[in-house]
Amino acid sequence: MAAEKLYDLWAKRNPQWETRYEDSIIKQFCEYGRGATTMRDDRGKIFGAGYEIFIVAFFIGLYYNQKRPLINDNQKCKSFGQPIQFWGNIDSVKGRKAYPKLREYIFASLVAKTDVDFIALEKDEITARKAVDMLTQTMEEYANWGFNFIADKMIDNPNHFYSETAFLEVFLSFDVTNVINEEEEPETLD
Amino acid sequence: MILKNIRIKNFRSYYGETVFSLSEGLTLVIGGNGDGKTTFFEALEWLFNTTAEDKKESNISAMRKSELEIGESDEVSVSITFEHEGEKELEKSYTFERVSADYIRTKDFKFIGYEDEGSERLSVKGANLLERCFDSFIRKYCLFKGESELNVFNNDTALKTLVDTFSGIKQFEDLVSLTEEFEQKSLNAVNKEMQNDQKVSRKAKDLDSRLTLLNRDISDCKKDIATQETAINDYSVKLENLERYQDTSELYQTIKERIKALSEKQAKLKGMIYCDYNTNLLDESWILRSFPKILNEYQKKSSALSREKRKLEKQETERTAKEEGKREVIEQIQKLANVAVPLPWNLPDKETMQEMIDEEVCKVCGREAKKGTAAYEFMENKLNEYLRHIEFEANSKDIPVDEKKVLFPNSYIDELHTKQIQMSGSVEQEISNISTEINDRLVFINERKRDLEKINKDIQDAEDEKNRLLIQSPGITEDLLDKNFKDLKGFIETKSRAEKRVVELKQKLEGLIKDKDEIQAEFNALEPTNTMTKVYQRVHTALERIMKAFENAKEANVTTFLTMLEEQANRYLKLLNENDFYGIVRIVKTVDGSARVELRSENGYLINDPGGAQRTTMYMSVLFAISQITALKREQDYPLIFDAPTSSFEVYKEDVFYNVIDKIDKQCIIVTKDLLLSDEATGQKKLNDDKIQQLTCSVYRINKAPNYNPLDLSTIKTETKKIK
Repeated sequence: MAAEKLYDLWAKRNPQWETRYEDSIIKQFCEYGRGATTMRDDRGKIFGAGYEIFIVAFFIGLYYNQKRPLINDNQKCKSFGQPIQFWGNIDSVKGRKAYPKLREYIFASLVAKTDVDFIALEKDEITARKAVDMLTQTMEEYANWGFNFIADKMIDNPNHFYSETAFLEVFLSFDVTNVINEEEEPETLD
Repeated sequence: MILKNIRIKNFRSYYGETVFSLSEGLTLVIGGNGDGKTTFFEALEWLFNTTAEDKKESNISAMRKSELEIGESDEVSVSITFEHEGEKELEKSYTFERVSADYIRTKDFKFIGYEDEGSERLSVKGANLLERCFDSFIRKYCLFKGESELNVFNNDTALKTLVDTFSGIKQFEDLVSLTEEFEQKSLNAVNKEMQNDQKVSRKAKDLDSRLTLLNRDISDCKKDIATQETAINDYSVKLENLERYQDTSELYQTIKERIKALSEKQAKLKGMIYCDYNTNLLDESWILRSFPKILNEYQKKSSALSREKRKLEKQETERTAKEEGKREVIEQIQKLANVAVPLPWNLPDKETMQEMIDEEVCKVCGREAKKGTAAYEFMENKLNEYLRHIEFEANSKDIPVDEKKVLFPNSYIDELHTKQIQMSGSVEQEISNISTEINDRLVFINERKRDLEKINKDIQDAEDEKNRLLIQSPGITEDLLDKNFKDLKGFIETKSRAEKRVVELKQKLEGLIKDKDEIQAEFNALEPTNTMTKVYQRVHTALERIMKAFENAKEANVTTFLTMLEEQANRYLKLLNENDFYGIVRIVKTVDGSARVELRSENGYLINDPGGAQRTTMYMSVLFAISQITALKREQDYPLIFDAPTSSFEVYKEDVFYNVIDKIDKQCIIVTKDLLLSDEATGQKKLNDDKIQQLTCSVYRINKAPNYNPLDLSTIKTETKKIK
């Protein structure tokens, strides 16, 4: 039997987050912990499932390129009910569109940003499980930084994220230039 | 009743006693604003009010009140002297006394009349004298405040009251009901007798029951006609209104259509600007706006890994190739001359091979193999190959079988590389376009928001325009415009249906009455055996004729009265509108028993909504006519007293009006601010002497005494001056 793909192994994971963000952020913006059948619009929440704000927090950490290790106490951490492989499969929710491809990009960014010795992995010198642990940790740390960012903003102004464009504005503030790929400046003639 | 003079004492601005002597024709009381015109009129109203003992403090002259010391008193009074079957006087008064600095007590209300009887002057109850000489019905048609009160037909009972009061119909009514009662009683008696009469009893009973049925049908039919006529009247009014507001309606509909079109655009724009910016981060992948950099990092890493893996693989291949090369050389050497398949490497064994080399002889073929010959070299190679195999087997015992063959047992890097390829090309392009896509969308929404603002403003403007239109069309509501114009066709149809129905019903009624008459004739023609019955029958016939005569007389009386009223009114209308269009006054009896004053042009065309002065002269003409008829009927004239009746008149019309009314043979008192000239520099008003000189009437000028304090009511006092 062929070995399972790295992506699939990762997608079976259920990343963790710090419990302190449950009430202050996740339940503020998502339908987390309220039953899956109720529509988001009925409750007036910005997002649907809890993982949506996790994704947002993750990308904030990713684009700021800032990680923050999770608190070293398993009691103070929690995960969502759904592993990554189900994230974004929300076709049935009124007014929403599924976004399964986003998982692939998250995975790609984790590979780019995590210091896994892939040659050793390829030679079987480290296990795939170990590699996926590392990827997941990167994911958690970026998201943890993102949550912290959101929490900070909300300390300054509890209603900061309740304007219709608040989250979009965070993402509009990031640079879009492709810095890694930027071509060298042509040499000056003098 | 002709008023001779009016005395007003301490009534509001009339401080002390003021006397107005009145002419038998027109008396003008001229004053500016606040000079006491309306107070003059209200003093008379107070005098003529028989319903209450009104001695309120507010009617006391503030100036007089302020002068009183504690314990001092004075009186408020209004009295008139008039000629009505001898000279008479009517006085209403009460005393006021200062009790304390801030309390005035009023007391001793009196309302007394005086009349001469022979050489004696008798005092009588004021209310009784007033009712006798100037009763409340007459007063209703004599005192008018402003222009709006001039339409005396503005309530349902007005015509009836007028006809009852002035046409002498009242007496007729009693007679009509009396004869009706006689007729009914005699009819019952005849019926009873007839039904008891042996000869005609059956026939009489039959006719009687047919008559009862017919009477019921006739009554029903009359009710139906009344209902239909009311409907026709209602719809006529509605249609007249609609016609009057046709332009308004057309404009209203245009504005409404514009609002509708704008609202549709508004809804569309609202749909366009709807955007869930937050969920679009996920659903539309907007969150990947800054992802190209990360993707690039991934691609570089993945490419590097893939390259590294291939490099290592190549090195390994080369190493194994070398091993492979050596083996191939040996095999080349060992190749047999006849290209036969060689023996396996372990045959012959090591000892045998060593023995054959030492002895320089091939014991397999039995030939000599001297050192230096090809045969000797073959044997040496064969031995070396044997040794190498042994050595290799010995070494390979330490290494696991898998790794012995594969450098990279996993293919994760290939997986990453495959993903990299999937995420390049068009997919990569899509991600780089997200930034532009978001930007375009935001620009689009902002533009639509601006469009929406404009549309909202346009809608507001249209709504404002609609409201202005409604404000300028008093009495017309939005609901009416919405509903009635949709119903226009329905109105016309209903009205014409009702009209047709009335014609049918009237024909039916005629038929019924004819039937009834026939049956009645048949009934009358019955020849009873009993002579008493015959007598009853004749008596009834006589009473019936008398009743009909009275009914006809009553109807004719009303018609004559209205015709006369109309004639008189038109005479005055012509006088009052000298050198102007005036039309024809029509007093129309409406189905509900009331009357409506209308102005029509000669060709019968109804003049809807006549202008202010036209309307005033129209109503005034009717009032003069009523007064004229009253005078004829009662052999008594009554004064007409108007407070500011001409406010809607232009100067020319005013002049004509006063010149005409000056010559009308009728006592009239008009309180007005006309005939005053205003000094443009000081704002002071003075009489227009030129115009006044042209008039023959009495003229009083009233004005506030100078040097008053504009903030203190107790400094205000009306001064009166008789001009002529």
